[in-house]
Amino acid sequence: MINRLQLKRALLLLIFLSAAFAGLGYRLVDLQVLRHDELSRLEQDNTQREFWQAPRRGNILDTHGNFLAMSVPVKTVCADPSLIGNQQAAVARALAPLLGVPEADLYQKLFPRVSRNDKGELVTNNLHYVRLQRDVSDDTWQKIRDTMNRMDFGIDGTPSRAERQFLHNLRADAIFAEPDEMRVYPNGSLAAQVLGFSSEQDIKMDDHVFSQIVGRDGIELALNSKLSGVAGWRVTDTDRAQQELVALRDENVEPRDGLNVVLTIDSVIQDIVETSLAKAMKEHTPHSITGIVIRPSTGEVLAMATLPSYDPNHPDTITPETRDRCITDVMEPGSTFKIVVVSGALNEGVVRLNDTFDCEHGHFAYAGRILHDAEPHGILTTEGVITESSNIGAAKIGIKLGEDLLYDYAADYGFGERTGIPLPGEVSGILHPVKDWSKISIAQIPMGHGVAVTRLQMVMAMAALANHGWLMRPMLVKSLTDRDGNVVEQYAPQQVRQVVSEATDKEMIEALKTVVTPEGTAPGAAMKDYVVAGKTGTAQKVENGVYVTGKYEASFIGFFPADNPQVCISIVMDEPREGYYGGLVCGPVFKEVAERCASYLNIPPDQHLPPQPNPLQLVQATRVHNNPNMP
Amino acid sequence: MKKSQSSAIRFGPVLKVFFLCFLIAGSAVGYVWQKSQIFQLGREIRQREIQLSQLASENQKLTDQLAILRSPMVLDQRERQLNLGLAPAQPGQVFRLPEPVLAPPNAVPARQLAQRQEAVPLTQ
Repeated sequence: MINRLQLKRALLLLIFLSAAFAGLGYRLVDLQVLRHDELSRLEQDNTQREFWQAPRRGNILDTHGNFLAMSVPVKTVCADPSLIGNQQAAVARALAPLLGVPEADLYQKLFPRVSRNDKGELVTNNLHYVRLQRDVSDDTWQKIRDTMNRMDFGIDGTPSRAERQFLHNLRADAIFAEPDEMRVYPNGSLAAQVLGFSSEQDIKMDDHVFSQIVGRDGIELALNSKLSGVAGWRVTDTDRAQQELVALRDENVEPRDGLNVVLTIDSVIQDIVETSLAKAMKEHTPHSITGIVIRPSTGEVLAMATLPSYDPNHPDTITPETRDRCITDVMEPGSTFKIVVVSGALNEGVVRLNDTFDCEHGHFAYAGRILHDAEPHGILTTEGVITESSNIGAAKIGIKLGEDLLYDYAADYGFGERTGIPLPGEVSGILHPVKDWSKISIAQIPMGHGVAVTRLQMVMAMAALANHGWLMRPMLVKSLTDRDGNVVEQYAPQQVRQVVSEATDKEMIEALKTVVTPEGTAPGAAMKDYVVAGKTGTAQKVENGVYVTGKYEASFIGFFPADNPQVCISIVMDEPREGYYGGLVCGPVFKEVAERCASYLNIPPDQHLPPQPNPLQLVQATRVHNNPNMP
Repeated sequence: MKKSQSSAIRFGPVLKVFFLCFLIAGSAVGYVWQKSQIFQLGREIRQREIQLSQLASENQKLTDQLAILRSPMVLDQRERQLNLGLAPAQPGQVFRLPEPVLAPPNAVPARQLAQRQEAVPLTQ
């Protein structure tokens, strides 16, 4: 029989156990239900990690696939100051030469710091992370690891367990590296203004700062979204040693690398242009010199160079003087603009190539102003106006054509609007509507005054004459490819409009061929094996609305072979010394560029062909050579 | 008889219990082994991923290096360094063999013409 005492004890035990289980039950409900969200967050914070996977920025290639800009994998070296203890001086002394930073700066960075966040609260984010140096090569990183592993940090003899742990953490984890990439332009300043430049930009994600390369100018900026790619991420659990537990990987989105941009630029032609411009720069010491090479049939830009230039690997060399003047600067074109008025007048049938004009021996009074020619001319044909570049002749042709048609042709050639080249900073130039013209405009515009054009607009207009009168849109990007070279997007040449008929175009080419003859203004641009068609320009510079004596923009724009044009080349000098006429200073540069391009592109000559061997004789000679019976 | 039967060892239930215990223990060990394998293979996957990433990076680096070394600019610089005296041929130095002129169709004998009927007509 159970006595009362036993029952009482059993009851007490039951109450005690019930209370204990009730307490445990409450705790269970508290942990699993009431505080579920909070504790779940805590658990995730302890074990779950998010890794940002940076995409690789696409490369920029020339038309043959040569690298113009590329991304190189590098390391960003960081430190965990909380693991460095009191060894800042030793670490700074050892790593400063390898990282290329002053020892004192490095020493300061290695101390744990407390900073304030946006709300003004004290935070200790810098306790575990400080960036020491960017763009560190793999080899340098390996040297850093070796150096850290070799250092004894002044601990002699047998270290205690705590010291061993400290040393292990210091050597293995205190200095660590994050994968990064660096933008490299392997050809230095080649095509610098076209490529532009890039810089690293920090992106803040969950209290962690990541760096990403962003384009700042040129193609790097214009096609930044295509080049950048899309970042990936990984959400996963880690163990106590921060090693990833692959089985507990929740999300894994691979990054999508940026696309490669294949340009129409040919690096060899670009180099030809830049070396020739550099030579001319030395000889004539202009403020700037530009060169553009276009394939007229497609509008492809094979080369586009401006000097002075810069090295995009060192953005500190960039100044306003190194801007891409081909598209950002406007100038009065001078006589090169005569192609607009003459081709327009020929196209309208207002004049014929052999019509004559009295060039008034260099002085022509019109609308209260006196127009001058560089050299006095008497009677000149329309062709002669181009050959001798007579301002008065061009003005008279312009007057015959009329204001409206002159404006229409200028607009049709693309003046007054952007060409649409995919580069930032292109300006549209100035072509006033007819209602804003003064009385003298109709005489001034034909000689290239009273309008402002970009160098690219002018060469595209000349390229239209080299392309049966069809104006093309300048084409700079040929295609976009993925990492494996598969074409993602292909761009085709775009015709803008036919400005003049094919018959007019042929007449214009005949007239332009005479410019490089001894009677023309640019005999120095004539090539030995090719017939060249082109036009010179010498425009007085305007400063504060006034023409300045002694300051000129000299230019020569031409194409060859004249009857089957393969390339159209523009050379423009801003304030050249040692001569200032376009034909005199730019003609020889054109010739040099053209001859080297012809050699490189293997363009068949169309004049002064060397004596060709008789094919029959060649065959016989080959047979004789191959006959084993012959000695 | 009944007594002797009850004292004898009955192997059936023992085997059943033994089998049940073995099953439970085996399942537990298997579960632990499987978990261990998952983490072990996870580690291997991670190591292989790192190795793959390193190899891909190395491959990319070498591909880039090769492309740079083969670029015309670098070849030109190298040629200058080695002073090989190489230069592109000038247009005047290139001999272009004129295309052979085809004989007019009426000059071709009928037999040969018949043989060529299947051929694609040549144009200049």
